[in-house]
Amino acid sequence: MLSSGSRVLKFAFQDFFRNFWLSFVTLTILVLALFSINLLIIFNLVAQASIGAIEDKVNVSVYFKPEITQDQVLAVSKNLQGLNEVKDVTYISSEQALENFKTRHQDNPEILQSIDELGKNPLGASLIVTAKVTDQYTKIMQYLAEPHYDNLIESKNFDDHRLVISRISNLMSKVNTGVVAVALVFVIIALLIIFNAIRMAIYTHKEEIMAMKLLGATNWFVQAPFLLEGIIFAILSVLLTIIIVYPLVGVIQPYVSSLLETNFNLVTYFTNNFFTIFGLELLGAILINLISSYWAVSKYVRV
Amino acid sequence: MIYLKKISKIFYPKSIALKDINLHIKPKEFVSIVGQSGAGKSTMIKILTAEEKASNGNVVVGGWDITDISQKEVPVLRRQIGVVYQDFKLLQKKTVFENVAFALEVCGISNSRINQVVPQVLKIVGLKDKMDRYPQQLSGGEIQRAAIARALVHRPKILLADEPTGNLDSLNTKDIIDLLLKINEFGTTVVLVTHNKDVVNRIKKRVVLLESGKLVSDEEEGKYIL
Repeated sequence: MLSSGSRVLKFAFQDFFRNFWLSFVTLTILVLALFSINLLIIFNLVAQASIGAIEDKVNVSVYFKPEITQDQVLAVSKNLQGLNEVKDVTYISSEQALENFKTRHQDNPEILQSIDELGKNPLGASLIVTAKVTDQYTKIMQYLAEPHYDNLIESKNFDDHRLVISRISNLMSKVNTGVVAVALVFVIIALLIIFNAIRMAIYTHKEEIMAMKLLGATNWFVQAPFLLEGIIFAILSVLLTIIIVYPLVGVIQPYVSSLLETNFNLVTYFTNNFFTIFGLELLGAILINLISSYWAVSKYVRV
Repeated sequence: MIYLKKISKIFYPKSIALKDINLHIKPKEFVSIVGQSGAGKSTMIKILTAEEKASNGNVVVGGWDITDISQKEVPVLRRQIGVVYQDFKLLQKKTVFENVAFALEVCGISNSRINQVVPQVLKIVGLKDKMDRYPQQLSGGEIQRAAIARALVHRPKILLADEPTGNLDSLNTKDIIDLLLKINEFGTTVVLVTHNKDVVNRIKKRVVLLESGKLVSDEEEGKYIL
């Protein structure tokens, strides 16, 4: 049994190297299929990060009347923070608001002079509210529209964001559906390509398989080297994919960072999820290789 | 050694390849099965190697009734007989040594024994100097000699040769037939399937003639007359 096992191993490696071009083509197809799947993962990650980045930029500003005290504003802030929908509330005092206003209009002496002529701060405090999910802004605004807030709040800029929030929500749901659909199609195509590549590779061995059987080889003795070769193909293809994917995400990363202005890092994501991503790909590649090899060889061992 | 009792083989739907064949081949005999193409010669070999099952009758090879042989037992049967084919059936990606060794590897023979036996057999067929070559680097005659070495290496009691000279020129044909005769002299039962009249008439051994699936003559030291 031991010598039989070592012979199977020897035959598998012999076949791999002696049919070098066939092995090379099969491996290339496997790598391309796996690379496509990783490309899809990258696309999905970038799409999710983009949406996340846009969502982070969306918030609702609530401007309070100038006469409202800091305690009153902070009380509203506390109430808002108690809502399930609210992710974060930032308090901007009337002094800070004035400071920001002056900085924003520092090149316009007329505006600055008008402010000085007023002799008092015309701006009230404000709260910047961020929701956990974009859909939840409507609920937050409904909460702020309650009558007891009418005397406190001067204005809310929800209407300014209503369109962009609605567009982002739509885009997110469409991207999610699209990504799932494309991923499914990609995976099916990759499986079919791998399945066919292995079948074609084994088809070229048809005569040899029959000859082996006529010499008295058992089905296992004929099949095992092909199954083992399938595992070798799977391992090598995943290794090569890793070698290609890492430099690629390294190259893409600076563009993603500058585009999204977030600290989302593709390389870190792939490193943190290395065993999940490539482990699953390896498992999938081994399974599809084993199934297609077994199925293809079984057709020719019936001699 | 080989008994065929009222063997018939009918391919679906009603193509009769063999009909009521009765044949007994004794140990150490050299028998030529002759006949024109389509006479049923190769079908007979396929039944003996369990590539095909007889539709009717009984088949006994080396005392083993293989009429209803199971798929699991087929490899065991094939390891006990040697077969040489017209198209050689050598493994193209293996060297001559590896091709011959393969017949022993499937039987689970140890590597040390393989390294000892294979060169000896290759010496007998005159290929010891070419054992590291691949089949495509050999001539037709050499390929067939390698195939014979492979068929002999596990010392089978029966050697079936299905048109072994069909792809060879006259010089190589003579070499191969001489080799088969030599193997027979060492005590191996040889069944030669051929439609080559000159070959059959030269060796002056038992001749069994098939016509349209029927056994029409069986003569000791017979001749093949068309």
